[in-house]
Amino acid sequence: MLENSTPSSSAPARSLRIGVAGPVGTGKSSLIATVCRALAAELRLGVITNDIYTDEDARFLRSAGVLEPERIRAVETGACPHTAIRDDITVNLLAVEDLERDFNPLDVVLIESGGDNLTATFSPALVDAQIFVLDVAGGGDVARKGGPGIARADLLVVNKTDLAPYVGVDVPAMVADAETAREGRQVLALSRSDAASVETLAAWVRGLLVEHRAGTHTPQDPGPMAPHFHADEEGGPGLLHSHDETEHVHDGEPAHTHH
Amino acid sequence: MNLSTTPLSPPLSAPLSSATISMMLADARLPVGGHVHSAGLEPALSGGMPAAQVPGYMLGRVRTVTLVEAGTAVVARHVAVQGTGQGVFGAAQLAVALATVDRAWAARTPSRAVRDVSRSLARGYQRLAGTLWAEHPAVVASALGSTPPGPTLSRPVLLGVIAAAAGLDAESLVRLVVYDDAQTIAAAMLKLEPLDPAIPPGWVLAACAAAEEFVTDLAALTSADAIPAWGAPESEGWAEAHSRTTQRLFRA
Ligand SMILES: Nc1nc2c(ncn2[C@@H]2O[C@H](COP(=O)(O)OP(=O)(O)O)[C@@H](O)[C@H]2O)c(=O)[nH]1
Ligand SMILES: [Mg+2]
Ligand SMILES: [Zn+2]
Ligand SMILES: [Zn+2]
Ligand SMILES: [Zn+2]
Repeated sequence: MLENSTPSSSAPARSLRIGVAGPVGTGKSSLIATVCRALAAELRLGVITNDIYTDEDARFLRSAGVLEPERIRAVETGACPHTAIRDDITVNLLAVEDLERDFNPLDVVLIESGGDNLTATFSPALVDAQIFVLDVAGGGDVARKGGPGIARADLLVVNKTDLAPYVGVDVPAMVADAETAREGRQVLALSRSDAASVETLAAWVRGLLVEHRAGTHTPQDPGPMAPHFHADEEGGPGLLHSHDETEHVHDGEPAHTHH
Repeated sequence: MNLSTTPLSPPLSAPLSSATISMMLADARLPVGGHVHSAGLEPALSGGMPAAQVPGYMLGRVRTVTLVEAGTAVVARHVAVQGTGQGVFGAAQLAVALATVDRAWAARTPSRAVRDVSRSLARGYQRLAGTLWAEHPAVVASALGSTPPGPTLSRPVLLGVIAAAAGLDAESLVRLVVYDDAQTIAAAMLKLEPLDPAIPPGWVLAACAAAEEFVTDLAALTSADAIPAWGAPESEGWAEAHSRTTQRLFRA
């Protein structure tokens, strides 16, 4: 156990809250499982998932056996995964507070976003730091294309590096592109089968926790979403829209704004 | 950016109109987590109700569960106004009085799934109220009665508390409950069974019109015993089934 995490008698301890964002299939749930596997023996962890249509992520993580099943909870997002982590974070905040209360004290709560294209980022009012996950199978160009999560998340993960030879991606070049897009912010080439990369990820979480407890870490906002498609969210060809304060359209939804 | 730590309380010296409070509380953009709810529509459609029956479903709620919700909200508002206006109640007594109203609502809401969902939605309102009207005695009392993991108050009781704190009159409160329920269904419909988005707003207005004949009587309620006790058993069955599915867009 890390020092200075003595349980308080009354108010639940405020955990370090880490968001995990990125497109569907890039390995967010797997990354959370990896972090749990690496750190569950030394830190008290909790997990919240935000699936779009099922509680499959929560069930996957429970079945991975990396954490007590009760410490993994799913919230619904009303088909608006981006809203639930950015504009109206109410359901997620309540879920985090419940976890912190029920398992007081918790060291770290990991929150997985319902994958919403390349663009959804977490509100700094919900998470203290966020990881944005890409994978090599998405192609070497993705990192260069940028977007708020890629450019300004606290940590960018280029995942599934073990697949690079099969998809013809040059990992060092992809990482270098990402570092350029991120103006030097940290990029981690990760594979769950590469122990050294997993240890780097675990060390990043530990380091952040130290900063969080010392009060030296300030949550950053990567910025609002860029215009994007929702092909996966509502089925059929998506309409281009953005999620800034201006009006926009989802498939089958009237024009609306999210605040 | 320290905006998040310095909430601005609404000025008590310049009271807001009921119209303004209604607009804010009825606005889907209000950050209370309402976007994860469909007012029973997703459970109904998954349970086999044809999409063509949605306008009738909306009207059916106006004559059943919405009367319970609106009546509960009005009585909670009355209790909150009485308890704070004359300074006769302490926060603890007011909490007991609100809990009595809440029990009357629970007795009229037989589905556990529906009750759980209402209480979880209420926590979003509690959060809002605790930020905007932190000092108001009814808001303080409602927080006493809403300490998870214990039972939290239901959404209509919280709406009554907010109505008392914000100065929303009883008739406006009834209309708010009716409108919010119908509009929640209309918005969810566009995600579940997309159609020309200009059509559901007409259903919402029809539902609101159908409720008008009840507004005066509901707004005059002062006793928990007098809260209407209509039910919608099929809808409750759908809600129970939905709470156990692993495939849903909406909490309920
Ligand atoms: N080869 C390989 N596959 C991975 C890795 N991480 C995740 N995956 C696979 O990628 C797929 C999507 O992973 P998942 O964690 O569900 O992605 P999510 O949608 O972002 O949560 C699954 O089939 C995983 O087994 C990795 O490091 N290497
Ligand atoms: Mg996942
Ligand atoms: Zn949306
Ligand atoms: Zn979107
Ligand atoms: Zn939107």
